[in-house]
Amino acid sequence: MPTADFKHQPLVLNYRQGLGNFLSLHIGRTILFLITCISVLSVLLIFFFIVRESLPFLQKFRLTEFLTNTGWYPQAEKPQFGALALIVGSFYVTITALLFSVPTGLLAAVFLSDIVSFKVQTIVKPVIELLAAIPSVAYGFFAVMVLAPWMQRKLGFTTGVNALNASFVLAVMALPTIVSVAQDSISAVGRELREASYGLGATRMETIFKVVIPAAHSGIIAAIILGMMRAVGETMVVWMASGNATRIPHPWWDLSGSIRTMTATIAGDMGETAKGCDHYRALFAIGLLLLVMTLCLNVLSEYFLAGAVKKTGTSK
Amino acid sequence: MKVIARSILDNIFTALTWAVVFIIVILLLLILGPILSRGTNAVVFRDTIEFRKMQMSLFNRGTEAKLTAEISEIAPVRQKAYDAIDKFKSGIDTESLTEQVRKIYRDCGQELSYKELTPQQYTEIRSSLKEIRDRLQTAFASTDKAKIAECIGFVMGYADDERFKGTSAGDFFRIAGDFQKSAEKIDLAKHRQYIAAADEMEDLLTLLLGPPPGKSLPATAMNQFGATRWDLAEKLMDNLLWKEQWVPQQEGKFLVKIRTERAKEFAGTEIEPLFDYIKNNLEKMLKPKWQFYWQYFIDDSTPGHYFGGVGPEILGTLLLTLLSMLFVIPFGIVSAAYLAECASDNLVIKIIRMCINSLAGVPSIIFGLFGLAFFVLFLLPAFGFVSKPCILTASLTLSILTLPVMIRASEEAIKAVPFTYKEASLALGASKFKTFMSVTLPAAMPGILTGIILSLSRVAGETAPILFTGAVALGPLPSSIFHTTRTLSYGSYDMAVGDRLAAMVPHNQYGMVATLVLLVLCLNTSAIILRSRLFKKLHGH
Repeated sequence: MPTADFKHQPLVLNYRQGLGNFLSLHIGRTILFLITCISVLSVLLIFFFIVRESLPFLQKFRLTEFLTNTGWYPQAEKPQFGALALIVGSFYVTITALLFSVPTGLLAAVFLSDIVSFKVQTIVKPVIELLAAIPSVAYGFFAVMVLAPWMQRKLGFTTGVNALNASFVLAVMALPTIVSVAQDSISAVGRELREASYGLGATRMETIFKVVIPAAHSGIIAAIILGMMRAVGETMVVWMASGNATRIPHPWWDLSGSIRTMTATIAGDMGETAKGCDHYRALFAIGLLLLVMTLCLNVLSEYFLAGAVKKTGTSK
Repeated sequence: MKVIARSILDNIFTALTWAVVFIIVILLLLILGPILSRGTNAVVFRDTIEFRKMQMSLFNRGTEAKLTAEISEIAPVRQKAYDAIDKFKSGIDTESLTEQVRKIYRDCGQELSYKELTPQQYTEIRSSLKEIRDRLQTAFASTDKAKIAECIGFVMGYADDERFKGTSAGDFFRIAGDFQKSAEKIDLAKHRQYIAAADEMEDLLTLLLGPPPGKSLPATAMNQFGATRWDLAEKLMDNLLWKEQWVPQQEGKFLVKIRTERAKEFAGTEIEPLFDYIKNNLEKMLKPKWQFYWQYFIDDSTPGHYFGGVGPEILGTLLLTLLSMLFVIPFGIVSAAYLAECASDNLVIKIIRMCINSLAGVPSIIFGLFGLAFFVLFLLPAFGFVSKPCILTASLTLSILTLPVMIRASEEAIKAVPFTYKEASLALGASKFKTFMSVTLPAAMPGILTGIILSLSRVAGETAPILFTGAVALGPLPSSIFHTTRTLSYGSYDMAVGDRLAAMVPHNQYGMVATLVLLVLCLNTSAIILRSRLFKKLHGH
């Protein structure tokens, strides 16, 4: 039997080898850490540059006027930069979209986690993933070329590109996010909770509504917030399908009118402005507003997701 | 009783969830269906001879001899239609007829002066010619049929006159005869409408069949050819047969579309049968053939997006995605490795993770603004380059956008490698680095690959970040990474909303977006398959 030959390699390292190993380990770790910090750096840079470009505007015009004035006439002789109609527009389509997608998304999540077998799950999940994979410009194309003429023809709207069209397509886009996050949190609710409920004689529906969903509520809220982030930040669909008319819907339930959102304004106007003028800086200010809003939503969703992990973590 | 109600409610709920999922699947099909099916139409379709002519002259494809043979085969069929319109127009266009008659009179006068005639004879003939001319002009100007008949009858009285032999005066009688014939058939009061209608018809025929032979070719390529596709030809044919008008139905109401048969405008004239002739002989005039136009994916388009394919767009998309992957893959994998292997759960790591999540949540248009402000307006000048949007800035912007996708996917893949693998390697005396490189990384590779594919598809589909950082709707092929480029995503947007010319070629609009969707779907499907295989492998099923 050949035995391992340790004679030429002493088991105890000498001083230099030890130092070398120590240094290479720590230098390597530091380099890895620095590379990992690129993400942090990116976030900081994004913030810094958006603020840098918009700061002159915020100093020149009053912030309250920017947030409360409804007139957005950047090219007028006496330009007005009131973003209220745009902010309202963004939230209007987002909330309408959520009205469509939250019930649908939750039912689909319950379907995937509690109702069907693993086999059906493996078929349905890719379908929802494909829905998430379709590029936003393709959704926008669908909205303009297929949905808009259909709405004009069948629903009798004056224009096919309106708030309803944009909201509907946004709802389809937000659906995959809502379904997957909600399903994760619903699946994470412990088996014993469900079994206790069934054991007390509750039907499946009662178990889901009275036990599972309350137990998973923080994950579901996180899902809704993430879906909202997707809808607020979406550009191409609202730019193409919302009609781009700067106005607050009147009466407020009138979905058939055109509307304009913050993202669409940035996308539409940026090509026509000279670098460094007030209009250009105003667009960056809208971008800053959007960025702050999404970051807040993000922190909120993290808070709820962390809550979900804590709750379900103990029950496992 | 209550139990039954509860169980019914429960069943209804179950059915509802099934219905919702069913609706989602249907939605997916409803969205993809029109895009893919109409997009296929850009590649597989029935072409016409005009398409083959276009391919020959713009892309130098096909055999010249065969094309010439086909053209000469269809020429007589088309000529008949052109002749009919020409003849009709010559019969009723009184202004040009008057012009012609005046010219003939002048010519005759010159011819007479070469003949050997006595002054008296000359004056006599000259005055008869003048009489004929004036009578014809009166006839042309008149709308009264009786008066026309009288005038023409008077002119025809001279038809056999010996004195006019050998001069151009014969043309007088030919024109008079033609005019009499068409005057009998049509309502002369409407002759202006007739001329306008005939002109319109000629224009429509040019759209359908291309410019008639003998006329000079228009400068732009899109006007040099007729309907290049059979479906387009049928649409134009419909336009030719039916006239669409928007008519106010009532005061203050919407306009209503009314279709009238164009043939009725020409009722009783020799053009009326022409409509049936074109309808029945359209196939002979255009020679439709099934075509698999695979060159759609490599052809440049000209002019605008009218003819040709999406070659430059595909090239641009590939360039952008590959270049951004060049930045993302190394940084993404290294970050993921650090987070999965070295990082403890302290505050710094928590902040890093939060930043990665925030980065994933930043709206894509903000990346566009950032790319413009940082890469284009700050970084390029800082390194001494011209500060303008280009491929480099676009792909850098996209790479930051997709960094969180890459990090999350790779981290999950690395974490999914069973700990026993690593323990075995460490127990054999391999260092941590060696273990990671030769055990963990290969085992996690399929998962990382899935992440790469998903990032690729995300990058290929994004439009908002490249709006201001390097994408253009039309332009030459880029010769370096400091030029702008066309991409499938921006092209899809532009063709749907921006480009007015594109609205005339719906197959190209759908073709562009279908190419993009197909590309993204293929990438995603392969990612899904790869992942399910990996799942089976790691879990040993």
